[in-house]
Amino acid sequence: MEKISIEICTGTTCYVMGASDLLTLEEHLRPPLSSSVKISGSTCLGICRDKRFKPPFVRVAGKLIAQASVRKVLKAVEAEYSGGSYAYDE
Amino acid sequence: MNGFIEVDYAQNWKHSERIAGDVFLLSRDKTEGRIVCTLSDGLGSGVKANVLANLTATMGQKFTTSRMDIVDSARVIMKTLPTCRERKISYSTFTMVDINSSGVAKIVEYDNPPYMLIRNGKVLKIEKTVIPLENRFPGRTEQLYYSEVNLQNEDRLIFFSDGVSQSGMGTAKLPLGWRTPFIEEFVTAEINKDRNISARDLSRKITSRALLNDIQKAKDDITCAVVYPRKPRKLLLVSGPPIDPENDQHLLEKYEAFTGKKIICGGTTAGIIAEGLNTEIETDLRERTADIPPLSRMEGADLVTEGILTLSKTAEMLETKDSWVAMQTNAVRRLICMLMNTDEVHFLVGTKINEAHQDPSIPVELGLRRTIIHRIKTILESKYLKQTFLEYI
Ligand code: FES
Repeated sequence: MEKISIEICTGTTCYVMGASDLLTLEEHLRPPLSSSVKISGSTCLGICRDKRFKPPFVRVAGKLIAQASVRKVLKAVEAEYSGGSYAYDE
Repeated sequence: MNGFIEVDYAQNWKHSERIAGDVFLLSRDKTEGRIVCTLSDGLGSGVKANVLANLTATMGQKFTTSRMDIVDSARVIMKTLPTCRERKISYSTFTMVDINSSGVAKIVEYDNPPYMLIRNGKVLKIEKTVIPLENRFPGRTEQLYYSEVNLQNEDRLIFFSDGVSQSGMGTAKLPLGWRTPFIEEFVTAEINKDRNISARDLSRKITSRALLNDIQKAKDDITCAVVYPRKPRKLLLVSGPPIDPENDQHLLEKYEAFTGKKIICGGTTAGIIAEGLNTEIETDLRERTADIPPLSRMEGADLVTEGILTLSKTAEMLETKDSWVAMQTNAVRRLICMLMNTDEVHFLVGTKINEAHQDPSIPVELGLRRTIIHRIKTILESKYLKQTFLEYI
């Protein structure tokens, strides 16, 4: 199975709004999820300039989570893994 | 010789002291391209020694930079300095170096260990003129040594206090201290190991070895200065998107045309460059701390970091000399190390303001790029004597 991509924005705005905590995500992942994801960082995604969304931003399988938290990202990853649904921001 | 002259020094205080009894002063006359530096060692250690050494070094600097002949300056200092009648010695010793823009160095030494000149990995023997001094102490002749050398690129001129040459004295390994032949051997080996070793690193290697000779408890103040003429090492630091996107191309051209190390601070800026060069940016999550975002990699760039947070922290760390040495490896530390190993820093700064940073809901105050860069530039010039250039775009 292809791994689920988790892209965490580490740009300035996202970082001060909590991305540094999001980078601990890996520690919160349990099997089988831990081996089914690929976590990567990213420079400013450019979304922080969009007034509709609030930072920090994470993309799970390419889809946007605004005001991301470890809990939200875990939920989304679980949904992706089990074929369920998650209410993404975009 | 043409190019840049790096001058730096390293110092360890005598282990029981809270202040150095050795003083090193440096001034650079930018318009004339002249460099004057003085290393003075005050008798004893602690505050009194520091005052004496400071007095000596300050006089040396003042006289010499005010165009007084360096030997005359030395004479005046000798006349002015207090002496210890009982022990028939001066209260301070010194080495003064005056280098003009074509690399001619005039050196006056009084009672400090002799300086060393290393060229092509070997010690160069130097003719010195002995200048006897008026009898200050009956029955004891004092002398100054004067010499002139034509510095060439890649030379290293090294001078130090006796805390270096007497380090290890009395130990089984170095019963008579770290004497000249041993130091020469050590220094040439270090230079031959790393032909480009900076004045900063070499002076630190020498003082750390001296400290090791003293079994990590300096028996005296240990100070070493190194003068290193070379072709200037250049670095370009690009940060911030241009205010007008039409200038993106201009930024790209400048970036591509630059020869030297290249640093990009800021994701958006890195994005503009990556797009223009048709390459990818990859963020490396390994080195990061709670307040400093991780760095990224991009082909052709020597370092890619986040912008404002990294730059603010860099400015803060640069304020205190060597404060970053103990820092764990992260973007800031990498950036500072690169800046330290450079002679010329070229800043290319985009002035577009990131509105997201002005959002009142942001928990920390994010400074303006212009202000932070300006601060870094000023510190690099005043504290680290780097040459800097700044262009807004
Ligand atoms: S900093 Fe994350 S989108 Fe700009």
